Amino acid sequence: MSDIDIKRISYLAKLKLPSEKEEFYSRSLEDIIQWVDNLKKIDTSNIKPLHNVTEVTVSIRNDNIEKNNTPEDVLKNSPERAQNFFKVPKVVE
Amino acid sequence: MLKRQPISSLVDSLKEKKISVQELFDQFHEVAKENKNNSYNLVLDPEYQKSNIKASQERYSAGTNLPLDGIPLGIKDLFCTKGITTTASSKILSNFIPQYESFVTQQLLNDGAIFIGKNNCDEFAMGSSNETSHFGPVVNPWQNKNSPSEKLVPGGSSGGSAAAVAEGSCVASMGTDTGGSIRQPASLCGLVGLKPTFGSCSRWGIVAFASSLDQAGPITNCVEDAAYILNSISKHDFNDSTSSNYQRDDYIKDIDKKLDHKIKIGIPSDYLKNVTPEITAQIENTKKLLAGHDIEFIDVAFETTDYALSTYYIIAPAEASSNLARYDGIRYGVREGGSNLDDIYLNSRTSGFGDEVTRRILIGTYVLSAGYYDAYYRQAQKVRRLIKDDFQRIFQEVDFILTPTTPNEAFKIGEKLDPIAMYMNDVFTVPTSLAGLPGISLPSGLSSNGLPLGVQIIGNYFEEKKLLQLSNLIEKELSFNE
Repeated sequence: MSDIDIKRISYLAKLKLPSEKEEFYSRSLEDIIQWVDNLKKIDTSNIKPLHNVTEVTVSIRNDNIEKNNTPEDVLKNSPERAQNFFKVPKVVE
Repeated sequence: MLKRQPISSLVDSLKEKKISVQELFDQFHEVAKENKNNSYNLVLDPEYQKSNIKASQERYSAGTNLPLDGIPLGIKDLFCTKGITTTASSKILSNFIPQYESFVTQQLLNDGAIFIGKNNCDEFAMGSSNETSHFGPVVNPWQNKNSPSEKLVPGGSSGGSAAAVAEGSCVASMGTDTGGSIRQPASLCGLVGLKPTFGSCSRWGIVAFASSLDQAGPITNCVEDAAYILNSISKHDFNDSTSSNYQRDDYIKDIDKKLDHKIKIGIPSDYLKNVTPEITAQIENTKKLLAGHDIEFIDVAFETTDYALSTYYIIAPAEASSNLARYDGIRYGVREGGSNLDDIYLNSRTSGFGDEVTRRILIGTYVLSAGYYDAYYRQAQKVRRLIKDDFQRIFQEVDFILTPTTPNEAFKIGEKLDPIAMYMNDVFTVPTSLAGLPGISLPSGLSSNGLPLGVQIIGNYFEEKKLLQLSNLIEKELSFNE
């Protein structure tokens, strides 16, 4: 067995896996992690990680105010709203 | 019939009043609205496009037509389109109506294009067969001649885009490619699919999957059409911090120009190690087609090919797990009930994402989690540099690299149930994506089952112009030989 704790991982990902599917995802995750394990064979001690592949992007603009959205636009897709706010259940006791 | 005509000749027909913009739209809309291959999540109503069609016709009448004026296009349902439902083929976005237009689709609109509808795709573009869509699989319009009743996948994730062009319901369609999602479906549907250099086309307004890999590009009937669309969409955009500000070429100009100097094309022997003779034959055939030109073919060998898929299946899910954290049921998308905030998050996400998306979020979360970050994610980013360097080493010897696009023809819907078997479909396209290089898939022939196969040409960074010139040459030789 591997050390993949599917309950912890799904909690971190804010997913509530139905108990009958935990096994399915757990096995699938193990297979894939085992499959990608070949990377560990490569010596990369002197290699820098690559984040941005073209590495040449210089894209700085003036910080001018642009008005592209109204509050009405922003709230248009909200599942629940109250005036100009997104509505959620009470958070503070 | 105007189907299969290149954009240039459609524009000529519109200019010469052989057809009206409305008539052209209607021809494609008629096919699209049947949606017999499920290639659309949404087909736009002709009434909705009435004013756009009228404005386009007026420009033709005034002689002020734009480069893509009146051309009916499909748009992958991953591009935000203002006022038009954009779902990413996911339940969680099934009610989402963007209040803004993606950069890429805005450029197409600015150039006069008229949208037919939103093309089905894999959920959040995660898949290689278009089977992970919440709205059901797309059927490849091609049939296996030895088994015509079988329903085949169009490839993915831009499977709806490819099927739509192949069935003749739009002139071309905009797709996105993260690890092969334009090139692979183009290949399985007998079309041209171009993934430009990372940074060519702004990602602004494209539903994000893996931000260091995602790139927009066209799926078209011919190479010249891909050049027309690239001319429209390849521009610098301040809203995407990875958008490149290099000087773009005119990709149409000189596309027919003959090679004025000898070019070298590398063929990676390691790509051809385990492929079927039918796939090898695509490479041999392409070589033969080009025999009359001043082209030297050189055997090359990568050192990192065996690690590319592993690298990709760490980096892409890691970025996806982070990008998809925004879907929480609070500000947009489908909200499920819950007695407290945490329950709303958990219930909305769990019910909103399908199996493959859930799987990739879990992989990504795992490789980014404390204790595993260095061993997996950081290691993958380092190997990614080795892969990039490997390409640059080969590009010191050659101008282009020729590979198969996929290891197989279109397969049956439901055939590949094992995720790793599915991921292997992208073995030839993923390395290019990791390196951020431009790649194009071109139809190269038919399999013994009468299904399309394709070859991929890879160019160096921002060399799309040369890439399209060579592709145009190959396409011409192929049609001459048919």
